[in-house]
Amino acid sequence: MEAFFHVSHRLGTVLAVLAAILASSVAMSLATGSGGFAVGEALFDLRLMRTVCAALAGAALAVAGVMVQGLFRNPLASPDVVGTTAGATLGGQLALVAHAALIGFLPVWLAPELVLPLGCLAGAAGALALLLATAGRSGGGLVAVLLTGFVITAVVGAMSGLLTSLAAGRWELARALTGFGLGGVDGKGLGHIALAVPLVGAGILAAWAWGRTCDLLLAGDEEAAALGVDTGRARRWLLAWTALLAAAAVAVGGALSFIGLIVPHALRPFAGVEHRRLVPAAALGGAALLVLCDVVARAVPIGAAAVGIQGAGELPLGVVTGLIGGPVFLVLLMRARREGTL
Amino acid sequence: MSGLVVTGLTVRRGSCPVLADVSFQANAGQVTALVGPNGAGKSTLLKAVLGLLPGTGAIFFAGEDLTAITALIRAKRVAYVPQRSQLAAALPVCAAVAAARYAHLGWLGTPDISDMTAVDAALHAVDATHLAKRTFSMLSAGEQQRVLVARALATEAPCILMDEPTAALDVGHALALLDLTRRLAAGGRCIVIVLHHLDDARRVADRIALMHRGRIVADGAPDQVLSGKHLGEAFRVAPVPGGALGFRLLDGAP
Repeated sequence: MEAFFHVSHRLGTVLAVLAAILASSVAMSLATGSGGFAVGEALFDLRLMRTVCAALAGAALAVAGVMVQGLFRNPLASPDVVGTTAGATLGGQLALVAHAALIGFLPVWLAPELVLPLGCLAGAAGALALLLATAGRSGGGLVAVLLTGFVITAVVGAMSGLLTSLAAGRWELARALTGFGLGGVDGKGLGHIALAVPLVGAGILAAWAWGRTCDLLLAGDEEAAALGVDTGRARRWLLAWTALLAAAAVAVGGALSFIGLIVPHALRPFAGVEHRRLVPAAALGGAALLVLCDVVARAVPIGAAAVGIQGAGELPLGVVTGLIGGPVFLVLLMRARREGTL
Repeated sequence: MSGLVVTGLTVRRGSCPVLADVSFQANAGQVTALVGPNGAGKSTLLKAVLGLLPGTGAIFFAGEDLTAITALIRAKRVAYVPQRSQLAAALPVCAAVAAARYAHLGWLGTPDISDMTAVDAALHAVDATHLAKRTFSMLSAGEQQRVLVARALATEAPCILMDEPTAALDVGHALALLDLTRRLAAGGRCIVIVLHHLDDARRVADRIALMHRGRIVADGAPDQVLSGKHLGEAFRVAPVPGGALGFRLLDGAP
């Protein structure tokens, strides 16, 4: 029994450290911008909204990453690498287009941000179902998952591009579609937060609740079934919750890459591979990382001005996560090749 | 009926039957060994009993229809030791064994003191307590095999199906495991064990079922089944009187 208590004690320390990092990130985020903390209430509120949105999106993506990696027994899977984020983005863009097309027939209170999560959810679920139906049936091998995810991302990305091109004549809509595709938490308000909190909260709780089942699925369907898991039912539910989390993240943060891949990887050595330990750690770690990425995105124009480059704009958040996550993914891929798991 | 009763079990892969109308019985309180050449259908039979492969036929344990219950309830009745685990993640041994308690957990899925006691007892039974904090995937094949046996014991299921559990073990741990199966059977459990070494089967089993080409060709007491006629038919070998290399556990060995 000693072993059980030993690991529980260590998890408490890990969670406390992550909570402290998140609190520091939030403080940095609130202070980043002209005037630091000494700004008007309205500006401070705007920073607070985007910080909360970044934290929610980061937590959702990281926990979705934990679940996708468990679902496919594959440490290189993540919502964006396997095409879920791209699916959610296309779904969100379709929802925006549908809202713009039907604006005259819709009630006034039905704002675009209300239909956006539904589109994201449908898109994410569709992409994951497609992945499960193809790569999942072949055993979820690393190469099969990555190649299928690549194809889904490419095809769905092309469809997003087509949609944006077709909307080029309507400047407002085209701008919204492009901004959504690049990812970002600027301009988000209470409505986004009110919509995202229950989705992300339910998703994280569900991920924790399904943690024991995910642990068993790590040993493959056969062993999990022998130990009592209804594997078909479990996969359907895990798919649904992962899609919900990815959709919620895309709805508040747009298309953000690599958070779901990096965070579980970075935390496994400290929190362990058991899902009930990894899920809360990933939620805190993902929130902290994306808040920090948003700080970097906003710090770029400040830094550029400091070195004499005037008029530089804020970086899209998706660009920051891509620039950080891409090299990390390559390192992981090379390590997998070295270890013979590729 | 207190044991495992399989009647008319047929399993197909495509149009080819890999088990053809198999009927056999394993009694509670006994060790039943399944022997046969490679590809005879021994592992397939175990997996079909566990509901891991679709098939037709009747499978009952202690009078309960195993094909009509959920995976969760079945896991409380029948435990399984695979030939090798597919677990590649860096899970600690104590967590890998604790997975056996999945079917016993409440709706919150949190283990209680009885679950931890069952895990401790199972690790102790296979001489693997010292491995509890180590990573499962970093163990040797033999150590992993002992942990898989511990996982099956931790389920506290009254029936245990073992698929070549001694294949990766050294002679000492193999004999200890066979000894453990005898003790489990003496405690009232129904043990079905697939074995390749006929000497081991003769040593441990109360009853042997000999499989060949998806069918049971002989079933009964060890001396009766391991006769020249049956061995010649299934394995194309003949026993050599006094030719076996025998071992016994030293006094005080675990």
